[in-house]
Amino acid sequence: MSAETNMSDMIRVEGLGKRYGDPATGLTALTDIALNVRAGQFVTIVGPSGCGKSTLLQIIAGLVTSTSGEVQIDGRTIVGPSPDIIGVMFQDAWLLPWKTARENVEFPLALRKVPADQRKERAMKLLDLVGLTASADQYPDQLSGGMRQRVAIARSLIQKPKVLLMDEPFAALDEQTRTRMGNELLQIWQESGGTVLFVTHGLTEAIYLADIVYVMGARPGRIIDRIEVELPRPRSIDMIGSEYFGRLRNRIWHLIADPA
Amino acid sequence: MNRWLRRLLITAVVVAIWEGVYRAGLLNPIIFSAPSLIAKAVREDGMTFLSAMRLTMVEIGLAVAIAWILGVAFGVVAGASKSLARVIAPVLSAMIAIPLVILYPLILAWLGLGPESKVVFGVLSGIFPIALNTLIGVRHLDPGYTRMAQAMGANRFQVLFLVLAPLALPAIVAGLRLGTALIIIAIVLSEMLSSTDGLGFWISYHRSLFNTGQVYLGILLAVLVAAISNILLSWIEKRFAPAKAA
Repeated sequence: MSAETNMSDMIRVEGLGKRYGDPATGLTALTDIALNVRAGQFVTIVGPSGCGKSTLLQIIAGLVTSTSGEVQIDGRTIVGPSPDIIGVMFQDAWLLPWKTARENVEFPLALRKVPADQRKERAMKLLDLVGLTASADQYPDQLSGGMRQRVAIARSLIQKPKVLLMDEPFAALDEQTRTRMGNELLQIWQESGGTVLFVTHGLTEAIYLADIVYVMGARPGRIIDRIEVELPRPRSIDMIGSEYFGRLRNRIWHLIADPA
Repeated sequence: MNRWLRRLLITAVVVAIWEGVYRAGLLNPIIFSAPSLIAKAVREDGMTFLSAMRLTMVEIGLAVAIAWILGVAFGVVAGASKSLARVIAPVLSAMIAIPLVILYPLILAWLGLGPESKVVFGVLSGIFPIALNTLIGVRHLDPGYTRMAQAMGANRFQVLFLVLAPLALPAIVAGLRLGTALIIIAIVLSEMLSSTDGLGFWISYHRSLFNTGQVYLGILLAVLVAAISNILLSWIEKRFAPAKAA
């Protein structure tokens, strides 16, 4: 990746706020959020539950409207779902139970009436990327939780998005599967050269995956710090035990526990 | 094959006993018919009943098609919106509770004695349970599916009919079963009440003449119509059931 594309902001969020109810008595979910993610970066947002990090991600994805501020992705102001540049993943894969793994991966293209043979070819490539070639014709209830999330990763990549927005995608998985999925995600990210914004409440996960960690506080939801993770790539599990990792983890833990 | 042979044999035995009891003079022919009387009715009025059955089936088919399409479409649209569902669900419940037969004289006055009034009465009788079941089925789906579909670029129509409606299929099919049964009842009943043709009409006509053979023939054919619709429904249920693990 050239230095020039590295310098440009792929995701830019400015002065973002979200209020529910009327201005005087309503609830402020998010206030004055600013963040930027450069092309090719892996950025995580970590915060306590109820801090509005999922809402923030959904606003960036164009699925929820903000009450103030602006989101720009690749120079385009986001006003609604933008599947051509944004891929989205949630904690649940939300696969359609009557479609096979491959058909689920194809579904976004089917919505746009892409010819069946092209769809199939793309889907098989992505299923190969996530290691599910053998399960292409299986139905979601025949797949494990980790496999379903792999299908969801393949599906979120099928429209070749510039940005992948992930809302606690591995939170429902057991710890071993979560760690393995994190490593696989990093591999896919490095191969595809995309930009990832990843929301989690797990501190270890947030540090392990990221170039930059945004730390959020609650009531109202706001960003309280931005931390650069200076660990080499590719990451390995051993780094989690290092002194540097421990200090970073402690620092974020204190930020969340008693925000200034 | 063996199973069908056994069923045939049991049926033959029952028919023979029935006929025997009738021949022995133990049945009042004004109240109870007999296999030979039904056979006589087939010889005398078989063609009339066959064309009546065809008309009844066309009426049922039309009413079912209209009620299914409108009922499911309405239920999906209303069920996908929380505020709309909250207003419409009680209205649908109320419509189901009303004995709609009280409207039949009005429908007759508007549309006449012909098949049109039967079809409209049939649609009215079946559409509300279909719409309500669909609405409830869609309402109970996790909003995560809608959010995911929107994120993938699905437009409103695609979210409703390619994602939500198939997900709600079990509830929708339950509604279709109930609605279809009500439509069959409504159409045969409306033919009996006032009509010029159809199975219901001929059952009613021959009942007033004490032709029990013809009445029984009509009843048998009406049961046949219901059985056919049941077989079709079961087929649809299987065909569109979400694929399950082997």
